[in-house]
Amino acid sequence: MDIDSKPIVSLEGVSFSYNSQPVLQEINLSLFPGKFIGIIGPNGSGKTTMLKLISGILTPQKGEVKVDNRNVRTIPRREMAKIISMVPQESYVAYNYKIKEIVFMGRIPYINQWKGETIPDYQISYDAMERTDSLGYAEKRIHQISGGEKQRVQIARALAQTPRILMLDEFTSHLDLSYKYEISKILQDALKKELKCIISVFHDLNLASFCSDQLILLNKGRIETIGTPQEVINEYNLKKVYRTKPYIIQHPELSIPQVIM
Amino acid sequence: MHKRLMMPMAILLTLSLLVLISFPVWGNSQDNLFPITLVDVLNTEVTLLQKPERIISIAPHTTEIIFALGLENKLVGRSEFCNYPLEAENIENIGLMSPLNLEKIISLKPDLVLAYGGYQAKEIPRLRELGFKVLVTEPTSLYEMLATIELISTACGEPKKGRELIANLQERINLITSLNTAITETDRLKVFTGSNYETIWSPGKGTIFDELITLAGGQNIVANLEGWVPVSAELVAQAEPDIIIISSGIMNPEETDKMKQDVIDHPGWSQIPAIRNNQIFTVNEDLFYREGPRLVDGLELLYEIFTQVREK
Amino acid sequence: MKFLPKSEKNEYYGYPNWRSKAFFILIIGFFSILIIGFIALNFGAIAIQPQKIWSIIWQHQTDDSLGLIIWELRLPRLIMAMLAGMALAVVGGSFQGILRNPLTDPYILGVSAGAALGACIAIAFQYTMGLFLAPFLPVFALFGSFVSIYLVYLLSRKRLHLPTTDLLLSGVAINFFFSAIITLLLAISRRGTHSMLFWLMGDLSTASWQKVSWIALPAFAGTIYQISAALELNAMALGEEEALHLGIQTGKLRLKIFLTGSMMIAAVVSFTGLIGFVGLVIPHIARLLVGPDHRIMLPASALMGSLFLLICDTLARSIMAPNEIPIGAITALIGAPLFIHLLKRRNDSDGY
Repeated sequence: MDIDSKPIVSLEGVSFSYNSQPVLQEINLSLFPGKFIGIIGPNGSGKTTMLKLISGILTPQKGEVKVDNRNVRTIPRREMAKIISMVPQESYVAYNYKIKEIVFMGRIPYINQWKGETIPDYQISYDAMERTDSLGYAEKRIHQISGGEKQRVQIARALAQTPRILMLDEFTSHLDLSYKYEISKILQDALKKELKCIISVFHDLNLASFCSDQLILLNKGRIETIGTPQEVINEYNLKKVYRTKPYIIQHPELSIPQVIM
Repeated sequence: MHKRLMMPMAILLTLSLLVLISFPVWGNSQDNLFPITLVDVLNTEVTLLQKPERIISIAPHTTEIIFALGLENKLVGRSEFCNYPLEAENIENIGLMSPLNLEKIISLKPDLVLAYGGYQAKEIPRLRELGFKVLVTEPTSLYEMLATIELISTACGEPKKGRELIANLQERINLITSLNTAITETDRLKVFTGSNYETIWSPGKGTIFDELITLAGGQNIVANLEGWVPVSAELVAQAEPDIIIISSGIMNPEETDKMKQDVIDHPGWSQIPAIRNNQIFTVNEDLFYREGPRLVDGLELLYEIFTQVREK
Repeated sequence: MKFLPKSEKNEYYGYPNWRSKAFFILIIGFFSILIIGFIALNFGAIAIQPQKIWSIIWQHQTDDSLGLIIWELRLPRLIMAMLAGMALAVVGGSFQGILRNPLTDPYILGVSAGAALGACIAIAFQYTMGLFLAPFLPVFALFGSFVSIYLVYLLSRKRLHLPTTDLLLSGVAINFFFSAIITLLLAISRRGTHSMLFWLMGDLSTASWQKVSWIALPAFAGTIYQISAALELNAMALGEEEALHLGIQTGKLRLKIFLTGSMMIAAVVSFTGLIGFVGLVIPHIARLLVGPDHRIMLPASALMGSLFLLICDTLARSIMAPNEIPIGAITALIGAPLFIHLLKRRNDSDGY
């Protein structure tokens, strides 16, 4: 893990509103390489919007979003696709593609329509499937496999895109316990190998605490706190943001906080 | 109003006769009649180099005109709807009037095609493009029907036969109109005719049926409405027609009785004079809608019906 | 053509390069078009010996009536059917791709109706005002299809997930609206009535080389242009946001597909009238046969669409000869049941 002093992603005074309804207000944030960053907060606090602002799908009304010290508005979409890839929350694939075809789609930013995929593209895709343990159903079709398998295919596709930043939007929504564990291992592994940074929105606070190096707690479009899971997940913060009193215990083996009802 | 109508109509008919008689004569003998240039209803100039020997008629009225002119031996094709006279059935059928089967037409190698204006707008230019002589007719009045006979007979190189036929028809028309000059406006019987569909469509001003009713001494109840009009049952009840005429394509007694009964049973119509006095007549629609020489038969039939009703 | 090295990895996962697949499909399509085309030439109101047809074609004999029938009626008609079928199927496939919905087709969306309305306006002007607008008919049709595609565009722009019901309902509404205007036009212009009605029914009986030359350019150019967007359409299958994250400018893509699509539809509708369901049926069958990858599916649709309309037109002019059945009736007879089947299957699965 190389520690770089320059931030890879920074938001400077970013405000975004949708239909004149403020979603994010005056966000100042710098994300440094080599970290697994979790974004948490109640529904409607602007978590997903933040991801979209970083990847340039949405443009803020105020402020600047920078990736690699460049304003995202100046980065062409195709180039952006080589920097950031995204694992969607849940996605419906419109037609019944084969799994391997879906993973190959991760190579779209790199290939020419008329030339098609080349051998390195196949090899990168193959590796991505191998790492996500999805080789076994590569020949199956997307509508035949389970929700957990689909999620791994999406991660394989995102890794085949060879990004520097991987973003995930509540990737665990459909997964059972073993899948959650496996996927978090895959992600940690990828972060060690080639990724500069992982930014993930979490719904599940315990998983966020388990996966992340740094947590951003959003509340009504503003950043409540940023810090390690230990710093962020405490009774004071959670009560303030979620408006219920949670009980917080320490994980028996790892020194991370876990929330129980 | 009807007295006012009678005069112009008489003048019109006399004039039309004059016009027809004075129609340009293209030659004294048939030999130097061709080449000839004619103008059809689409305002297209059609030049015929020779006397046509293979004619295709794609409209029932042109088929009837050809037969009435005695030129049926030149007919090599006719449409599916050309069912009169019966001998027409012996002529090669080229199918529906629209879309035209161009292949069939071309294979018959016609030197003259008689087409109907409204239905074949797409196919006619294509036939002309391929070098076929197409003459389009679409008579919308009795006079135009006579002019169409003139046009077709001239195109066929038999203007004399045409003039004879026209003179004969004109004479029959004149007889009826002369018999009707005595009828005053109040004498005119109110006539309703309409299709027996869910929506009643009735021929109004500008249709041949309306013209025939007026000439035969009747008064069409929708004469003040333009063209074919959808008529409400209320309008019919309010107009109190003296006669109801049902025109039908099927002329077997069972069917016509049923149609009559439907009219009698029509809700709200029981007080109409025509129904109270049972003055409902079924007629063959081809005598009124097919723009050929049989329109004059239709006129005579209407005159008979009106006279019969009036005498009662 | 390069072949992949036979390492184990590539043999198992080496998806054969799409070009070899597409090339294979093109070869098959080319030969089946030649064979079926020649068979179709034998059908018609007049029976002509196949040997005779062969010699008429090779000797380019056009002086007698048989030559005229082959060269001026059957051949342009056949080619017109194929061009129209190709354009309709490709537009159907690309619309299904961009809207992420297999129940879409220019006919169902009301784009064809828009083009038809445009053309009817031209006819109505011609009859009521005496303006001679026939040469501009395709321009009016183009304008009409732009209007309706713009309505679809408005609907699909903001929403990332456009439910089937919304799409179909808006299509129904657009179709109703346009047919209401057409009815109104019919009522106003009496003389044009017949010509409009028969024009709307859709038939190829008046095909000519001139019309073929008019339709060929938009059909081919549009097809190639849309196939060039195939990879981007593949990305759209993942979802609009996912496509954006894969570097696709989805707004531009949508504009590209809609504009070329409505241009192709306007060209086809101007010369053949309304022919429905080709764009629905063919991409569906193509997807079943060659898979959903648009790079292969779209060329396959183009070929199958040509063959489909060629066969339908041959049926239309030979089943009840010498009478002709409107070709739209035959395509609808095949397409409508399939549409209902698809709709039912969608409802049975997960609401998509």
